[in-house]
Amino acid sequence: MTVEFSVLLFGPGLPSGGVVTDCFIEADGIRLAKHTQFISFANLTARVGSFDHNQLQLAWQYQNQTWMLIPSDLTNQKQLIKLLPNGFIDGLGRWKRATLSQHLVWKTVGYSLASIAVVLLLIVWQYDAVVTWVAGRIPISTEYKLGESVLASLTAQKALVNKGIAVEAVKKIGDRLTKDSSYKYQWHIANDPAINAFALPGGIVIVNKGLIDKADSANEVAGVLAHEIQHVEQRHALKNMITSSGIAAAVLMLFGDANAVMMIMAHQVSAQYFSRQAETDADMKGVALLHRAKINPSGLTTFFKKMQQAFKDKANSPEWLSSHPDTNNRIKAIEDFNKVHLCTDCEMLSWNKKAILASLAKAK
Amino acid sequence: MTQLSYIIKGNDLQYIEIALESGQQAVAEQGAMMYVDRNVAIDAILGDGSASRLGGLGRLWNAFKRSLTGEALFSSIYKNTSSHPQIVAISAPGPGEIVPISLNEHGGSIVCQKGAYLAGELGQKTQLAFQKRLRVGFFGGEGFIMQKISGQGTVFIHASGSLKEVTLTPDDSLKVDTGCLVGMASTVRYDIQYAGSLKNSLFGGEGLFYATVSGPGKVWIQSLPMNRLSKLLMGSALAGGHSRSSWVGKFYLLAIIAFFIFTMTEKV
Repeated sequence: MTVEFSVLLFGPGLPSGGVVTDCFIEADGIRLAKHTQFISFANLTARVGSFDHNQLQLAWQYQNQTWMLIPSDLTNQKQLIKLLPNGFIDGLGRWKRATLSQHLVWKTVGYSLASIAVVLLLIVWQYDAVVTWVAGRIPISTEYKLGESVLASLTAQKALVNKGIAVEAVKKIGDRLTKDSSYKYQWHIANDPAINAFALPGGIVIVNKGLIDKADSANEVAGVLAHEIQHVEQRHALKNMITSSGIAAAVLMLFGDANAVMMIMAHQVSAQYFSRQAETDADMKGVALLHRAKINPSGLTTFFKKMQQAFKDKANSPEWLSSHPDTNNRIKAIEDFNKVHLCTDCEMLSWNKKAILASLAKAK
Repeated sequence: MTQLSYIIKGNDLQYIEIALESGQQAVAEQGAMMYVDRNVAIDAILGDGSASRLGGLGRLWNAFKRSLTGEALFSSIYKNTSSHPQIVAISAPGPGEIVPISLNEHGGSIVCQKGAYLAGELGQKTQLAFQKRLRVGFFGGEGFIMQKISGQGTVFIHASGSLKEVTLTPDDSLKVDTGCLVGMASTVRYDIQYAGSLKNSLFGGEGLFYATVSGPGKVWIQSLPMNRLSKLLMGSALAGGHSRSSWVGKFYLLAIIAFFIFTMTEKV
């Protein structure tokens, strides 16, 4: 059986670019009709050629000079390789391995890139679960230390009250809300006229005097406390830090060096976005907490309305730029929750506001 | 189709004068034209003007891929509309030599460095040749993207500096400094080789690797790669500017200050 092939032939006396000629593959060798040569398979050496390293070059010695033939194209080459006997030609096995390994390298690169992309997609998709999982790896004691250090820098800035009737009253409400918590809560009152309350990681809750001043009932204070407690319970501060460091790592990986401006921008946007999500989260879980503690939840919404009234004259920035969600939306979401989940045995709390304010004035 | 007849003029800053016969056409990269005779019609074509079975979108995609090899999205096509021979002059983009290569002599295709294509006949294709071997792509000095020029007839490529054309037999191979390779026939194997010893790679000034080309086929080597030239020019351009504070100058200043301080302390 002979098969005819078109090949490029190189040899002494032939043009430097080779000549196209026909060769015949026979049972034990290759016959070059025009050049009256017959090369036994045993005398052939296979080499890897061309820019892409995927070309088969068959070389042999004839009258002490090197000759070479190359299949004219890749389809030709594939057919030729099938016809060549295995094991006879020196280097053919190596040639096959080399071209195969080339293929494997690119497959590996492709697959690893694809798997990285899949992992990234999974992280983006299951973002909350991932962050919660990471946050779960960090012990409460670390969180507590974090909170303590912030508290230390805070006490340097403003006077904190941690004894007296006022703190007792806040603690009473707080204890009722944090009965089954694994955190050990600390309650502080800051002598600050701004209407605000905030929580530090590890269970440190600070209520401003201005908030107590503005609140008309103990239920309003309880609503705000429930919200702040949920920030602690849901470990929002920790998750925020994880997000920021994750984004910093991603920016570093993408752009090679961390351009400071880019890092700050990424951090800012992520922090704002995260903050809004955290606020909504704390709102909804806070109301649920009020329900569980059998405290009438109406205080939260009435206080929000009051806040809105107080800040009405301030210019409103668009929601996506602000750290807190739009107050109207928050009130609506909480009221919707209360409509669905009726709390018939929730009670109103009582407090002695005058005595509390008087004790705070004294502490000053 | 009759072959292009041309004359290459100039020594280090060259241009080609192509004499187009009646109805004959030539293609050149955008902005390379120096002058044309009166009856030459100039037209812009997308990419190299080759058709695609995917239609217009496929042609745009091909032109985009081609533009990654250092060419413009569009090329210019010059056609002689008269019955007399007309001249089209195409100039080289920089100092160096214009190399006419007959594709028929090299199995119909050659591989060149990025941006080497200057001009040619209509119907020749300039395609992206992607370096599939990571080692060679990273250390070969030509990057991952090169040009594959295929078709019939003569193509003109541009080499920086002076040109050396080497014909390799199946037994020959050559060590080339990375970056000096302009082009090679499609049968030539292009690889890299470690410089051999730490001493060579650190003090030899040629980098860690040599490019090796092995036959059979022709290779074209340039004496002054563009990046070497630009480094040289940039260096002297900066030094020739108004700031004369070279490091020697700084040391001189430091020495004066030190001398001043020492003499002061002696007095005290």
